[in-house]
Amino acid sequence: MVENVLALRKRHRIAVAWAHDFNTISAVCKASDDGFAEAILIGNKSQIKEICNNSGFGSGLFSIIDSDNETSASEEAVRLVKSGEADIVMKGLVGTDKFLKAVMNKEHGIMIPGATMSYVGAVEIPAYKKLLFITDTAVIPYPDLNQKIAMANYAIEMAERFGIDIPKIALIGASEKKSDHFRYTDDYIEICKMALDGRIKNCIIDGPLDLFLACDSKSPEIKGVNTPVNGDADILLFPSLESCNPFYKSLMLFGGAELAGLIRGTEKPVVLMSRSESEKSKYYCIALACLMA
Amino acid sequence: MVLKSLSDLKKIIAGGPARKLVLAAAQDQHSLGAVIKAWKDNIIEPILIGDKEGIQNICEENNYDISGVRIIHEPDMDKAVEMSVKMVSKKEADILMKGKVGTSTLLKCVLNKEWGLRTGNLLSHFALFEVDTYPKVIAVTDVAMNIAPNLQDKIAIINNSVSCLVRLGYKMPKVAVLGAVEMVNENMEATLHAALLSKMNQRDQIRNCIIDGPLAFDNAVSLESAQLKGIRSEVAGDTDLLLMPDIEVGNVLYKSLVFFAKAKVAAVILGARVPIVLTSRSDSEQAKYDSILLSAAASK
Repeated sequence: MVENVLALRKRHRIAVAWAHDFNTISAVCKASDDGFAEAILIGNKSQIKEICNNSGFGSGLFSIIDSDNETSASEEAVRLVKSGEADIVMKGLVGTDKFLKAVMNKEHGIMIPGATMSYVGAVEIPAYKKLLFITDTAVIPYPDLNQKIAMANYAIEMAERFGIDIPKIALIGASEKKSDHFRYTDDYIEICKMALDGRIKNCIIDGPLDLFLACDSKSPEIKGVNTPVNGDADILLFPSLESCNPFYKSLMLFGGAELAGLIRGTEKPVVLMSRSESEKSKYYCIALACLMA
Repeated sequence: MVLKSLSDLKKIIAGGPARKLVLAAAQDQHSLGAVIKAWKDNIIEPILIGDKEGIQNICEENNYDISGVRIIHEPDMDKAVEMSVKMVSKKEADILMKGKVGTSTLLKCVLNKEWGLRTGNLLSHFALFEVDTYPKVIAVTDVAMNIAPNLQDKIAIINNSVSCLVRLGYKMPKVAVLGAVEMVNENMEATLHAALLSKMNQRDQIRNCIIDGPLAFDNAVSLESAQLKGIRSEVAGDTDLLLMPDIEVGNVLYKSLVFFAKAKVAAVILGARVPIVLTSRSDSEQAKYDSILLSAAASK
């Protein structure tokens, strides 16, 4: 992915809202060193300078805009992107709520009118043979049918940028049995119909499927279940943030995985990562944003 | 005693008499194999109830030596389950395990009002994981039995799990109530439950453990993550038991740990008079064996 970004030969300007943590500054500096980004760090100028001095980052690598609180820093970062002074907005050490509020502001925000905001992540997992795209780990708590359709389309679009022509999407549930107990069942059945009659294009979709049927090629045989996804999923769509969030965190903390993710539904790319993510993850997110820009 | 791995469970049962495990409808290769192996390792003493010929055929085909094992012939599956449950009821066995019979059939017998194994508690699924990157074993509940537990159900699920951990030697296990976020949010019921459960624990309404929540998964298992977010918690980074919001979340996490993190897992059903072992076709041999081991360590 990083190679593809470097091939673009463009320096994307990244506005970082409340750039007060080492991991974020470090990631942006690395992207800058590698030639595909340029950083604009927004936050308390003296505190940022101190972090940089302590970590040995030369202040020539980026510009700093002074801001005295998280909310105005977020608003400023979004303003820069809206006005064209920056290409990508990135969340620093500020809570997701405050950050997204600025992004979604009706007047000054950068949402595409009428679009659903959602988050798609690309995960590289040692135990899985290929890249896995997952949604929605961060934004929509309990997606309804329309939101799920938007999530699927965003994930298909991202997979295509990575060269996957007809991605396999698994609609994840606790089991493959369709049941009234699970509120996602009706939505999943409808989505499968939409894929069959072409209303959702360029993909193979099945669900509900459990994680084993989605990703373990031996599982369909053991369970005696026939599914076109067949343990070979490219995309996993989850019924809730509650199930997707611990899933991706377990991959990162226990599965040795790397994740790069992006907010979709905005006019310009928005990089959103958990404050506890590593420098490496943030670096990959920046690269992904540049690729999708 | 901190359990670092599932094999540490062996230390708990060492020295005592082997627990009696009754396998209901034992003409089942999947469960029989694990039972025989556990028997050979002195973990349990099996009692096989089922179709004698079927059992013997499986043993011959797979080279299982069952000389000396008590077999009670009962070809009818429903009757075999009933007999197994009654045996446990009469304290002639310490652990109940499912053989070639449906889970609902088995549980129906377990819940029989006359001769079943009811205690008045909710039944719940308890899984114990061993993951390379976590310094000790971590329990997760309930990933397979209760679909959408309400607050009362969650209290029962915690109580079942904590009692089990106490039997495994834990003094005050640390319980993290999982949420997608670590802030209490009116629109996310799991976080409201988490706050209530933590408070109830503080007020001694739920005992023998330390409960905190809501905690997101990374806060629960990584102190660094929690510190970075400024979370003050006695449980963060040191969780012994993770309480799941519902089965959707629990199931996904369970399978993620097994498939992507290559975790080892042992699982039992708690809440009845004895631990119940239910295994499925997709369980590995190791998982079945470890589940039997867990049930032995957890039975009084």
